[in-house]
Amino acid sequence: MAASIDEPAAIAATAVAATPGRRMWLATWSQTEFKIGLVLFLLLVGTAFIYPLLSDIDPTKLSVRERFLPPVFLEGGVWAHPLGTDQLGRDLFVRSLVGLQNALMISIAVVVLMFAFGATVGLVAGYRGGWIDTILMRLTDAQLSIPLIILAIIILTVSRPTPLSVILVLALAGWPVYARVTRSVTLAERRREYVRGATILGASDGRIMWRLIAPNILPPIAFVAVLDIARMMIFEAILGFIGIGIQPPTPTFGTIIADGRKYLINAWWIATMPGGFLFLTLLSVNLMGAALERARNRLLRGTI
Amino acid sequence: MGFALTFFARRLAQGVLIVLLVSFTIFALLRVVPGDPARIILGPMATDEVVEQTARDMGLRDPIPLQYMRYLGQLAKGDFGTSFIKARGGGSMGGGRDEARGERARVLDLVAETLPLTLRLAGLALVFTALIALPLGIAGGLMAGRWPDKLALYASSIFVSLPNFWLAIVLALVVTAKLGWIPSIGYQNIAYAILPAFVIAIEMSPLFIRSLSVSIADTMRHPFVELAQVRGLSPGRIFSRHVLRNAAVPVLNLFGVQIGALLGGVLIVEYIFDYPGFGLLTVQAVLQRDFPVIQGIAIISTSIFVVINILVDFVSAQIDPRIEY
Repeated sequence: MAASIDEPAAIAATAVAATPGRRMWLATWSQTEFKIGLVLFLLLVGTAFIYPLLSDIDPTKLSVRERFLPPVFLEGGVWAHPLGTDQLGRDLFVRSLVGLQNALMISIAVVVLMFAFGATVGLVAGYRGGWIDTILMRLTDAQLSIPLIILAIIILTVSRPTPLSVILVLALAGWPVYARVTRSVTLAERRREYVRGATILGASDGRIMWRLIAPNILPPIAFVAVLDIARMMIFEAILGFIGIGIQPPTPTFGTIIADGRKYLINAWWIATMPGGFLFLTLLSVNLMGAALERARNRLLRGTI
Repeated sequence: MGFALTFFARRLAQGVLIVLLVSFTIFALLRVVPGDPARIILGPMATDEVVEQTARDMGLRDPIPLQYMRYLGQLAKGDFGTSFIKARGGGSMGGGRDEARGERARVLDLVAETLPLTLRLAGLALVFTALIALPLGIAGGLMAGRWPDKLALYASSIFVSLPNFWLAIVLALVVTAKLGWIPSIGYQNIAYAILPAFVIAIEMSPLFIRSLSVSIADTMRHPFVELAQVRGLSPGRIFSRHVLRNAAVPVLNLFGVQIGALLGGVLIVEYIFDYPGFGLLTVQAVLQRDFPVIQGIAIISTSIFVVINILVDFVSAQIDPRIEY
C-alpha cells in the first residue's frame, strides 16, 4: 500500500505498543527534514542566546566611524562585524541575534496563548453543541473574516505598541483556527464509547471535557502549532516593519529591515542580511513543523 | 433548485450577521481609542471649543450604538461617508475648517478607484499560485514518498519561510533596481503588477502545494481508484474524472479560508511596492486614522470574504453531493 511510504518498517514494528504521542514522535524523528530543521534551529538559537553574552558589542551602541561597513565577504568588510554595520554603525550580526531572541520569545508566547484560548472555545463549542456552539462558531467566523494583519494594524495603530500588546493582538487575531480544528475533532470524539461511558457513570461535563477529551485530542493539534511559531515570527516582523511592533531601540527584524530599506541602493546588506537570518530561522522551524504534520497525518490515518 | 434557494437564503442571512458584527466591532473600537476625529479633521491649530462644536455637529458625542445605527441608516442608502483626509481627485487635505465637507473624497469612490487594481493584482497572483502549486502538488501527491513528493515538501518549506515584505524588498532591489528587468514601484501598466503578484503567489502556494499533495495521495488510496483500474479506465481518465474531482473539495475550501490571508498579503505587498490599490488605501487610512475609510474597507472586505466562502461551499456541494450545509 502506498500509505507506508517513507518510514522504515522497523520503526513501525517497534512502535506498535507505544502511546500515540510516542508513535508520533518516532514517525517524526525518522524523517530527514526534521533532523535538518532541528540541527539548524539549535545552531541558530544557540548562537542567538550565547553569542551576545560572549561578545562585548552592544546591539544599540552607535558608532559614527563604523557606519555602512559592508559584510565581511565584500571589499572593506571586517571580521569584527561579519554581517556589516547599519546607518548608525551598529553591528548587524548582534542586532539580528537579539532580534531573533525577541522574535522567538514573542511568537512562542503568542502561540501558547492562542492555542489555549482557541482550544477552550473549540472544546466547549464542540462538546456542548446547541446555541453555545452556534454563537461561538459565528464569532469565530466573524473573526476569521477580518484579515489578521488588518485587525492587528488597526488595534496597534490606535493603541500604544508594547511587547505585551503585540503578543495579545497577535494571539487575538490567530485563535479562530484552533477553535475550528478543536471543535471538529471534539464533535467526533464526543460520540466515542468512553465519553458515553463517563456520562453514564455521572462524570461532570467539565471533567469529561478537560480530563478525558482534551488529553486525547489536543496533543496532535499542539504539535502542529509549531508551524504557527514561524507564522507569528513573520507577523511580528511585519508589524515592526510598518512601525507598530516593538519600538526602537529594541532590535527586531522588522525595524532593522525597515531602517535598511531607506539605504537599499547604497547599502543593500542592512535590509537583506537580517532578513536572510530570519529566513533561515523560519526554514528550520518550518522543516520541523512539516515533519510533525506528516507524522500527525499518519497517526490520524492509523498507519503508524 | 430548492436546495440552492434555501442554501443561499440561509447563508446570506448568516453572512449579513457576520458583516454587521465585524463592522460594529471596528466601529466601536475606533471610537473608544484615543484620537478625536474632529481634531483630525480640523488640524492641530483649531481651538478646543471649535473641535468640541464640530464633534457635536457630527454627532460624535452621541452614544456609540446610536452613532452606529445612524451610520447603518446612511449605509442603507448607499452612502459610506466621506474621507477625513483625502480630497476628491486625489491628494490629501490638510487640517482646516474652511473646507466644506463635500469636497472630501467619498469612501465609495476611493474604493471604486482602488479595488479594480487590487483585483488585477490578486487575479495575477492566483494565476502564478496555480502555476507554482498545481505541478508541484499534483506530482507530489501522485508519487507520494518519492522525489517529487520530497521536492514539493522542500519547495513549500522554503516558500513559507520567505517573509513577504523581505522578499518584496529583495526582488525590488535585484530585479527592478539592479537588473532593470521588470518595473515595480507604483503603477503604470500591468507589468507593474508582476513582481507584487509573484510575492503573493510565493506566500500563498505552500498551503496549496501541501493540501493538493495530501488530498491527492489520500484519494489515490481509496478502493474506488483500484476498482476504476479493474473497470479498464485509462489512468488519465481516472485522474481527471475521479481523483482530481475528489481532491478538489479540500483545496477549494482552503481557498475560501485563504481569502483573508490573500487580502493581508496584498496589503503588505502593495505598501512596499507603492501599488495604488485597496491594500495601500487600507494602510494609509489606518496610519492616518481615517475612520470612515477604515469602516468602509472593513465592511467591503468582509463582504467579499463572506460571498466567496458561500460560493466555495456551494461549489463544493455541487462537486461532492455527500457534503451537507
